[in-house]
Amino acid sequence: MIFLRRQLPIIITLITGLLFAGQYYVPHPASEQMLTSATKWMQIIGGFALILGVTSLFHQHAVKIGRQEAGWGYSLVLYVAMLGTIAVGLWANGKESVDGAMTAFGWVYNFMMVPLQGTMFAILAFFIASAAYRSFRARSREAAVLLVAAVIVMMGRVPLGEYLIPLSGDLSSWILNVLNSSVRRAILIGVSLGAIALSFKIIFGVERSYLGGGKE
Amino acid sequence: MRGPARLFSPITDHVSLITVMSFAERMLKIDRRIIFLVIGLCTLLPLLYPVGLPIKISSEVRGVYDHIESLPEGATLVLSLDFDPASKPELYPQAIALLRHAFKKNLRVIALTLWVSGTGMAEQIVTQVAKELGKETGKDYTFLGWSPGGQAVIINMGQDLYSAFPSDYSGKPTKGLPVLEGVRNLKDITYLVSLGAGRPGVEEWYVFGKDKYKFEMGGGCTGVMAPGLYPLLRSGQINGLIGGLRGAAEYESLIDQKGKAVAGMDAQSATHVAIIVLVIICNLFYFSMRQQKSVGQG
Repeated sequence: MIFLRRQLPIIITLITGLLFAGQYYVPHPASEQMLTSATKWMQIIGGFALILGVTSLFHQHAVKIGRQEAGWGYSLVLYVAMLGTIAVGLWANGKESVDGAMTAFGWVYNFMMVPLQGTMFAILAFFIASAAYRSFRARSREAAVLLVAAVIVMMGRVPLGEYLIPLSGDLSSWILNVLNSSVRRAILIGVSLGAIALSFKIIFGVERSYLGGGKE
Repeated sequence: MRGPARLFSPITDHVSLITVMSFAERMLKIDRRIIFLVIGLCTLLPLLYPVGLPIKISSEVRGVYDHIESLPEGATLVLSLDFDPASKPELYPQAIALLRHAFKKNLRVIALTLWVSGTGMAEQIVTQVAKELGKETGKDYTFLGWSPGGQAVIINMGQDLYSAFPSDYSGKPTKGLPVLEGVRNLKDITYLVSLGAGRPGVEEWYVFGKDKYKFEMGGGCTGVMAPGLYPLLRSGQINGLIGGLRGAAEYESLIDQKGKAVAGMDAQSATHVAIIVLVIICNLFYFSMRQQKSVGQG
């Protein structure tokens, strides 16, 4: 059992990790075919991951409802909404409209999901404004630099800002293209080097936390 | 200062200090509903009474426009609508403007999404613009829908498009569709634009798509994501970037078909200026409070 739990996954990771890292540099048809097959597998596994995610969500909320934990009413709403959507989705064969006529699934999507998600995102503007007023203060030199940069970019990104301060557009563009790009690139390089190092650690079995911490 | 005036001045100073401090403190702890009201009005009023300030076109947006403009009739454009309804205000106008441009140029459009929750909306966008410009599904455009796997879908499309999407969203087999004639995989496409609101999005299309399958690519994203994509833009990894509502408004101006984005720019202008004014006021109160405190301690 330890072999199946520990050694076998490490062997699979080692072989596939090295194989597919090498595959990128080998344009032979056999190598390309191998990648095609593997990505098909990945798509199928992706589909199963979705089922796994939904099942796990159902289980978690079922426990909450069963124990009547704090906020279990929301879990009930989630259950009703999910089961209802799945039912109308299956009924409509996953289509929002058939021959131009909106299905029940389309109605749920257009008149519930779209406005709800839109509202959630729109509310952000109000909270950002409130948070900016309360916490965007020049407490230190670094905070002052950040504040000035943010004000310039905010002014330069809207027509009214450019109209009031004509230079703000060019200044904002310079901040985004030069300062922001170079700093982001440095962060990206650092993150990528870290990812490469972590990949090697996983491939060669040094990093094993992805195997889980179950009993041996 | 002499006599009684000198005697009483510290007391009056102290009184004014308390008044100023309490006022500044009160202003800093202002009810957040007042801020919400200000932002609400700044959004609503310009939408009701638009001003229509001129929009300057940036080189980033022009990059995408110029590239599409340079494509010959019948060239293939892949449009990946990688967003859900939460990002609709910013990315929906971008998608509409891009599709109008592509259809006017008689490009063959292959649309898809990597976000399951955006499938219905993406289909509506493509169908709406195609109908508006008299385009026929299967011949002038196709909507492939969504397939699970995220970046695996990109690699799979790069290897074999028909394996990634054996049928389009309406269930028609993709093999034999006139719009896909001569297209086997991503190596055969002319241009790709990903309108992304997160992951998978523009970055994934570059890393798993363009880098390996060598096609030209542009991007579109929400305003908050745009600074993160500038390194790709500056290094030429993407040849243009449509950032947020501003980018969409610029694109609408370029194709001379002003829509929701241009209409929304006045509201965004007012909101940005309101937030800047709020931040400046908050800092003024903060510094006045700090100064008064240090005077009080001295």
